[in-house]
Amino acid sequence: MANNDEFIGEFLIEAAENLDQLDRDLVTLEADPRNPDRLASIFRTVHTIKGTCGFFGFTKLSTISHHGEHLLGRLRDGQLVFNDSLASLLLELVDAIRAILASIETTGAEGDADFADLCQRLDAATAGPAIPETSSDHPSDPARSQEPTPDTVPATALPTVTVPVTVEAEPPITPEAAAPPLPTAAPHEPRSSSAATPPSNTTAPAAGRPGPVLDSTIRVDVGLLDTIVDLVGELVLARNQLRTAAPENPVLQGAINRVHSVTGELQEAAMKTRMAPIEQLFSKFPRIVRDLANTCRKQVELHLDGSDTELDRTLIEKIRDPLTHLIRNAIDHGIESADTRQAAGKPASGRLSLRAFHESGQVTIEVEDDGGGIAVEAIRDKAIVRGLVSAEEAATMSAERIFQFIFQPGFSTAQAITDISGRGVGMDVVRTNIESIGGTVDINSRPGVGTVVRVRVPLTLAIIPALIVTSGGERLAIPQPYVQELVALRTTGETHTVAGLEGAPVLRLRDRLVPVVFMDRWLGLRTWTERPASGTVVIVRVDNHEFGLVVDAVTTTDGNRTTSVETTSLWIIVVKPIGGLLAPMGLYSGGTVMGDGGVVLILDLRGLAMAADIPARARDTPQLPPAGRPSAETEADRYLICETHRGRRIAVPLEQVDRLETLRPGQITPAGDRQFANRSGQLTRLIDLDQLLESPRQQTAATAAALVGVILTADAGGDALSVSRIIDVDRAESELETGIGTPGLLGTLLVGGAATEVIDVPAAARWAAHATAP
Amino acid sequence: MARPTAPPSTAPPPTAAASAARWCSFLVDGRCFAVDAAVVAEVLRATTVNRVPLAAPAIAGLLNLRGRIVPVIDMRLRLGFTPAAAERPRINLVIDVRNEWYSLLVDDLLDVVSFDANHIEPPSGSRSVPALDAVVGLLSETDRLVHFLDPERLLQSLVVTRVRGLSVG
Repeated sequence: MANNDEFIGEFLIEAAENLDQLDRDLVTLEADPRNPDRLASIFRTVHTIKGTCGFFGFTKLSTISHHGEHLLGRLRDGQLVFNDSLASLLLELVDAIRAILASIETTGAEGDADFADLCQRLDAATAGPAIPETSSDHPSDPARSQEPTPDTVPATALPTVTVPVTVEAEPPITPEAAAPPLPTAAPHEPRSSSAATPPSNTTAPAAGRPGPVLDSTIRVDVGLLDTIVDLVGELVLARNQLRTAAPENPVLQGAINRVHSVTGELQEAAMKTRMAPIEQLFSKFPRIVRDLANTCRKQVELHLDGSDTELDRTLIEKIRDPLTHLIRNAIDHGIESADTRQAAGKPASGRLSLRAFHESGQVTIEVEDDGGGIAVEAIRDKAIVRGLVSAEEAATMSAERIFQFIFQPGFSTAQAITDISGRGVGMDVVRTNIESIGGTVDINSRPGVGTVVRVRVPLTLAIIPALIVTSGGERLAIPQPYVQELVALRTTGETHTVAGLEGAPVLRLRDRLVPVVFMDRWLGLRTWTERPASGTVVIVRVDNHEFGLVVDAVTTTDGNRTTSVETTSLWIIVVKPIGGLLAPMGLYSGGTVMGDGGVVLILDLRGLAMAADIPARARDTPQLPPAGRPSAETEADRYLICETHRGRRIAVPLEQVDRLETLRPGQITPAGDRQFANRSGQLTRLIDLDQLLESPRQQTAATAAALVGVILTADAGGDALSVSRIIDVDRAESELETGIGTPGLLGTLLVGGAATEVIDVPAAARWAAHATAP
Repeated sequence: MARPTAPPSTAPPPTAAASAARWCSFLVDGRCFAVDAAVVAEVLRATTVNRVPLAAPAIAGLLNLRGRIVPVIDMRLRLGFTPAAAERPRINLVIDVRNEWYSLLVDDLLDVVSFDANHIEPPSGSRSVPALDAVVGLLSETDRLVHFLDPERLLQSLVVTRVRGLSVG
């Protein structure tokens, strides 16, 4: 047998493909039970498997496929009518064959599983309720049908010579006969492999491989393809290095240009070898859907769309489990039973659609059902109950984000609201799997209408065009498909200005306001006080989110900076995985190695948009936000973090701050033991927080020369807090801890990464007014 | 540091730490640690490390190892010690955990040795390392206490999932 290993390997690959084909054919056949082509195809497939395994001496496999073939022969010849129970039985046969093949693949032997019972049932069905005019059986009594009538021998439907031989060699088998399953199967096992199989050997190849066209494809180990793609990736790196070095020598320049173009083509060719149609995956689903629908006792119509959409074959394998899980969820929990559906005025049969399509350099796969749907309120309430979010916060969250709670581990396993019971089981696993390949998954649903889960995965993990931007001394890559345009920015200037310095900054771009985010601030690279006065805004669009990323500069491939999306600003980068440690952050979809050997992270814009809660806006309907001021809820929990003259870290609620001014010593006018600032002729009372709080002197005390006036809003008294420097503006990371009881302090909370005392501004104003009163 | 190898023990190992045959030992803040030598892929001296904004503090950044991107874990921070002085050259010990590479940034490399598995004790109650979660065993050597580390556990607390609430200003 050892010499046969190679052949057995081929046999296993071929058989696996054949079995997939069988799954598809059987499910198709259920819808169209008399389709002669399908029946013939199924028959041929089983026949081929039987013949080949007989050749290798796999007797068990040979036996069960023989029994199946027998049944199929009668079906093909129209002596039996295909129905649901026969479909289930034949699918069971396919699974049994698969199980044996799996055993052969791993152990080299057929394994111990006993399929005598299946053989019996196959035979019972074969002898079973035939069509009256071609059979003398009693249709009403399938289980007890007595004789495998000789007149059921398939005669001449197809010129497949083995069938009559097979059937005539068969002893009459009485299902549920007194004999236990094993002895029943045993007697005809040698017979079927010795008497029936040998003749089939010669016919199997011809029958199983109809009309081989010109064989222009070869099987290649995926691992080898990956190696080639990796090597090309390295070549691309080296080429980029060469281009960066840019020698003056014209001969070298010519060679570099040639290397450049050849590498480009090689890369493209290498990439194509990795691509495969999603059909490879979709073709498994009819069978899965059928089985699940039967198990759940539901009627489900599966619609597949976009099967020819190509993506990286390694990705196809990786989305298999998540998609299967989504389908299972849709059938198990989404689509209602036929009765319920009809009561709700829907067709009895549920509709499950799988759509695949390319969209902005990614592959989107939608799993949509027209089932019961999920109410966003139910999710929100449950998230609040489970303590995942506060009620106030939940009230301001978009439906999109609320649905994301479904992907929380174990979200629906606790005593569930009936609407979503079970719906979230394993969704966290789905998300983890999808995210591990740089993809995203989101869900939308309407009660009574249905649910759509949208999985987006990159087309390939290998090579993408991208912008390389710098911010706060770091380089970051922005995938080109998302980039709309680049806009030069001056924080004080005429053309493009960012309004609303803190809170929710926006950029006025032609007829609309685009939310912008400062990369440095976003990623915690530096505080806004260290930010240069000019920069570039990269306008990106992700799904329904359009926003600008404020960066210091865009690096071009020729080493200059640019403010427009030109060819020189596009880099072709080799995407490399950043591993299970960093991928779950949802901020970076990968990394790349630059020509200088440095590593640059690739921004996951979708993840960033979600992390920063960029509001979604309807496409093509530019509209200005209702008010220039940021909305109350974004401002309410933001604090200005400052340091007092004695180094005490304090926070002031941002909504009570009007603006900041640097005060020169000449502006300060003492009055008694208090101070006033002369601001353009207007005297503003300065509140010395150290005096208010009786701060102990700390090591980090700043020099008295630096004085920043935090001008309070008129509502808050209009005074100015005197501090030595501004540290940051940030959102509170914890609830306010009260109970210290210090006058002038509201309490302590975590903001900007440290516990910080929060100034009670009205109390401070009262204290200052009282202290300065004559 | 290298000692004569004890004969293979027939007794069941007292902890999971004892299963490896040879150990790669290194220094972090003066303490001795060891990982299974079989997981060590490479040792690098000076390399450029690019930081990863918003990652766990113990993630020093990413390094490029012949085109492969490898996260660097600052072992001083991971094990709860004080950060290293900036000018001090340190060593990257690249390990392979389920086919992903990680670099452990350690103060100094010691040796690849075998230990007598019978004397490895569970780490409970040890106060020599602030963050004990990745320490799976202890062994008192003549000159020092060896802390055995489980690479998988080293990584566990470093995963930051779904960064949220980024400030936009």
